[in-house]
Amino acid sequence: MSAGISISFSDVAKRYDMRVVFKSVSGEVGPGEVLVLTGPNGSGKSTLLSILCGLVRPTRGEVRHRCGDDEIPRRAWGRHLGVVAPSMAVYDELTAVENLRFFARVRGLSTDTADCDELLSRVGLDPNRKTPVRGFSTGMAQRLKIAQALLHEPEVIFLDEPGSNLDPSGQDWLEAQVEALAADGRTIVLATNDRREMEWGGRRVALVG
Amino acid sequence: MWRWLAEVFAVAGKDLRAEFRTRVALNSLALFALTTLAAVSYTIGPYRIAQEDRPFLLAVLLWIVLFFAALAGLDRSFVKEEESRTAPLLRLAAAPLVVWAGKLLYNLVLISALMALLTPLFCVLMGFEVALPWHFVALLAAGGFALAATTTIVAAIIAQAMTRGALFSVLSLPLLLPLLIFLIQGTTAISTGELEIFRSSLRAVVSMGGMMTVASALLFPTVWND
Repeated sequence: MSAGISISFSDVAKRYDMRVVFKSVSGEVGPGEVLVLTGPNGSGKSTLLSILCGLVRPTRGEVRHRCGDDEIPRRAWGRHLGVVAPSMAVYDELTAVENLRFFARVRGLSTDTADCDELLSRVGLDPNRKTPVRGFSTGMAQRLKIAQALLHEPEVIFLDEPGSNLDPSGQDWLEAQVEALAADGRTIVLATNDRREMEWGGRRVALVG
Repeated sequence: MWRWLAEVFAVAGKDLRAEFRTRVALNSLALFALTTLAAVSYTIGPYRIAQEDRPFLLAVLLWIVLFFAALAGLDRSFVKEEESRTAPLLRLAAAPLVVWAGKLLYNLVLISALMALLTPLFCVLMGFEVALPWHFVALLAAGGFALAATTTIVAAIIAQAMTRGALFSVLSLPLLLPLLIFLIQGTTAISTGELEIFRSSLRAVVSMGGMMTVASALLFPTVWND
């Protein structure tokens, strides 16, 4: 893994036509830290997360992704991050292994089935299950999305309501994973309203709806 | 280069695997093509057109059926990614040109399957005589590629729109109309055996396909990311 990635954003605002999502938000997070984005429903947590991911452009403000002192260009940014969000789905016509192998292939990684099987076992899914994802429960689909986000061992992980649909043991597992990833020097951005998940982070950005 | 190709094949392979499991685009293409062909062959048939008009009119009918069948199913490649909320992860994981080339390859496979099914049936049911068979295959291949290149970029554009309904046909038609004219001209020449007209039509079709491919490759990263 590289030196670790830091994200800083200043005076970020987002507006869709006449609707203001948020006016001015600033913050930063570095390697080994967990930044928690919190606020009431509709306050723009997921939108801010999408802006930090690089999927949505802010109306105003600046977002910088850095590895040490070097700026990471936008085209290379996707390689460094993993995302779990309710607005992002995996392919429900494919099986769990097929999904992981597809994402591994397009990321230029090894598509060794054993690696995918190991990762699926790690998130609590049966690698031998041959049913397409559309037959999964929402909790199982969430576990697969987590596996997909961790597949390429990214330096930055964005989690939007990651514990939703997970059973208590799944939430415990996720908490342990987030702690382990942060201890390993990964940068984690977490958008949540869950009191328990809020405790995972050291830094917080509160959005006012 | 090999790695880039492997990523392109991964995108096309994923789409084909998903398509063979759901058969949404395949059913749309086949249903439209076969219904239209059945209606045309039943109402017009092989003998209701005067002998001297047959090469031109049958060429028109063949390409109309192929074009509109293609328009009925080829927009799915990108619309499905947006509707099923899989596009954001694909945007983050794959380079834009990989996605574009993968979707183009997928559309090319679908249009080739459509042509392989429809063209022999059309020739048999409508009594379309092909004087230059290999030239016909070359024209179909060039036309199929140009059609796939155009519909891929239009599908990417309309997938971002809120109201997609008829937008695909509306945006595709002006781009495809000149191509349609040259394909009809070339197919007529194939039936009558006029080699010179066929060559000029094929040149025009290949040029248009090349132009659309280059323009799409340049335009796609902006369409996909913004």
